[in-house]
Amino acid sequence: MKIFPENASSYGGEVDFIFWLITGVVAVASVIVIFLLLYPVLTRRRKLTKTQRYQKGEGFRNLRLIYLGILLLAIADFFFLYKEGPTWTKIEETLPDKEFHVAIIGRQWLWEIVYPGPDGKLYTADDVKKINQFYMPVNSVVHMDIQSYDVIHSVFIPNARFKQDALPGRNITRWVKMTKTGTFPLSCAEICGIGHANMKATIIVQNKEDFKKTLTKLYKK
Amino acid sequence: MNTHKKHGFWHRYFFSLDHKDIGFQYMLTIFFMVSIGGFFAYVFRMHLAFPDMKVPLFGLVTNKDYNMLITNHGLIMMMWLALGMLLAVAGNFLIPIMIGTDDMAFPKLNKISYWIFLLSVILMIASFFMPKGGLGVGWTLYPPLSVGDFGYNTPYKSFADRFFTANTFVLLAIAFEFTSLLMGGINFFVTTLNKRAKGMSLLKMPMVVWMINIANLLFMFSVGPLVAGTFMLLLDINVGTGFYDAYRGGDPLLWEHLFWFFGHPEVYVILLPPLGILAEIISVNSRKPLFGYKFILTLTLIAAVLSTMVWAHHQFVAGIDPRAATVFSIFTIIISLPFAGIILAYIATLWKGDLRFTLPMKWALGAVALFTLLGGFTGLHLGASVFDIYAHDTSFVVAHFHYTLFPTVIFGSFAAIYFWFSKFSGRKLNQTLGNLHFWLTFIFFNGFAFPLFLLGLAGQHRRIADYRQFEFLMQDPLPLYRKIATISAVILILSQFIFLFNFIWSLKRGKKETEDNPWQANTLEWQTSSPPPHGNFKVYPVVNYGPYEYNRPDKDKDFTPQNEI
Ligand code: HEM
Ligand SMILES: [Cu+2]
Ligand SMILES: [Cu+2]
Repeated sequence: MKIFPENASSYGGEVDFIFWLITGVVAVASVIVIFLLLYPVLTRRRKLTKTQRYQKGEGFRNLRLIYLGILLLAIADFFFLYKEGPTWTKIEETLPDKEFHVAIIGRQWLWEIVYPGPDGKLYTADDVKKINQFYMPVNSVVHMDIQSYDVIHSVFIPNARFKQDALPGRNITRWVKMTKTGTFPLSCAEICGIGHANMKATIIVQNKEDFKKTLTKLYKK
Repeated sequence: MNTHKKHGFWHRYFFSLDHKDIGFQYMLTIFFMVSIGGFFAYVFRMHLAFPDMKVPLFGLVTNKDYNMLITNHGLIMMMWLALGMLLAVAGNFLIPIMIGTDDMAFPKLNKISYWIFLLSVILMIASFFMPKGGLGVGWTLYPPLSVGDFGYNTPYKSFADRFFTANTFVLLAIAFEFTSLLMGGINFFVTTLNKRAKGMSLLKMPMVVWMINIANLLFMFSVGPLVAGTFMLLLDINVGTGFYDAYRGGDPLLWEHLFWFFGHPEVYVILLPPLGILAEIISVNSRKPLFGYKFILTLTLIAAVLSTMVWAHHQFVAGIDPRAATVFSIFTIIISLPFAGIILAYIATLWKGDLRFTLPMKWALGAVALFTLLGGFTGLHLGASVFDIYAHDTSFVVAHFHYTLFPTVIFGSFAAIYFWFSKFSGRKLNQTLGNLHFWLTFIFFNGFAFPLFLLGLAGQHRRIADYRQFEFLMQDPLPLYRKIATISAVILILSQFIFLFNFIWSLKRGKKETEDNPWQANTLEWQTSSPPPHGNFKVYPVVNYGPYEYNRPDKDKDFTPQNEI
């Protein structure tokens, strides 16, 4: 049984790794918590002895095991942060040199994908627009200018482990590099009205030659 | 001291100044709200698993209906059930009697708080019947969507056109509810600070009284920005200002900040009172002092402060500066530490105890287990900003917050009701029905919420009326998970009728509670008759002991009431 949809981006594996790392540590912690809960529950039912029960838990000595628990969790916490920091920087804070550039603009209730025209530049008169069809070349860094015309939408590409809200009045540039060819879903992850459930696009990742052909076809129309 | 007089129906339910009566009024009102919220959950859950079905008692669910149902489910559960139950109901029933006084400091203010709360409920219900239908923008009310049917692009016709919309009514309802809770909160504070029984120093107060007050403090601190934000949103809707309109110098992100600056502390406002309730119940049923009273208190205060610095973890991918997200990620993950300490202290209370698996104890242990194992730990996943890129706005988040909210709000409230029912009503709840109710709720809550984790990991985004358009979400076994979740949710909701029946029946016909102190507990409410007289105590208690002096070595019996000499 697979948990995640197939990963098809250069950084998706790192996102999955963070999930499994935290899940692994949490699983160990859960076993400890379950033991700590079950042990008294199973063994201390109406023990009418009076041994050692008047403990108020004051002072460092009495609380030392709890402090130890907090310390262990703190170490785990900072380990997670240490591990995820570089991935966050990579996905969100840096923009590797682009090999292709599109604008992806949300509107109720479709995605407009704007491709640069024959001049290779975005936001010029020869740009071409496609509705809900997002072509990209494989193994290339694609910059996405994420925008919205009306309300907040959110670009969600499960196979790339990528998500970014699209806000009216802002241009947010993020990147993705797909490592597999094929078609992948792109959904809208932020409620945007009655048609929110219908808002989806298809990502078509092609090898570089096919992609060139697709572009020429787009320009002809 | 008042003598108890028999009052009529109108007096008890509308005009009484007694904190117990007002608490009861709040409780009935909230039962009414939660049955609407639960009914909505039933309808949209049915629709998700069986999209073509005419849902019994509702009919075919359109996309518009679906959005409206989830939005109002979220709003009702968060604003009216959770905040109302845990601040207003718990505060009203417990604070005066547990600190050993006759009533609130300002009984009339208390009554007015309830009336305003009732007004907010009426406005909220009225919003369903506006000409354009109920609100369907998600309980987070993000503009521009929440400004009108189509954001700012709809031409501004007339004031009435905008005013008589669900948008306006919901915002007004929220504003009135907050007014009511603020008035109630001030009352709780003054009562706690000024009316404690002789001898009850602050550190001899029961934990739940502390927790409700800390929650109130946090509520008061965080609610201001949201009220301002709500006011701006009301102006945007009704007058045509552009506070959140990016094309006129406003910013939709501003609302997200104001909303979550309140919204995140709110989840701790919701969490703390049940933590207090659990402390009482666990200590009584372990026959041991609460382990680390001052320690828990310190950690709670630390958590309360931290909770005001984590709000943007709801906005990691909302368009905030990604460097800021790092800071919020760090605080979010760190906030797990005080809660780990508190939970461990509760567990330490169990160790070497002499446990009694009474009904309230079952609810309490269930709450601790589910909250920690599946609510708290998955918070670490989401606090790690990298994984949140993927999980944000998927069913993983829905599962996470149901695992934090349901054990605290629902299990916590039931723990409290099963614990204090006989004190306040003078009659006992039926134990067999209670056990049945507990186990059905426990099992089918998991059956409903756990599959949502798996659905979320598979990439299922939330607030979607019909997943059939997404092929990858229709692959096996995902539709099966949806059906399991739905069937469990239906049984879960049906099980609550067992409780409802038990509650109503026991109130009228239940076995009489013959003892004042059936649990052999220390706190003051158990040292007066069941039900307590109008002024709570025949003779005002004088406090000599802390609230958790179980099994003191110098006493023969295993408990020491706070007012023992
Ligand atoms: C009766 C049991 C419950 C069931 C079956 C249930 C079910 C659900 C489901 C399936 C959703 C997600 C809808 C979607 O995204 O498509 C949801 C949303 C939500 N639920 Fe519940 N829930 C229950 C109880 C609660 C409780 C007790 C609370 C809070 C105290 C709560 C708070 C929320 C909130 C805040 C949302 C988000 C609404 C939104 O997306 O705007 N729920 N619920
Ligand atoms: Cu959408
Ligand atoms: Cu939060």
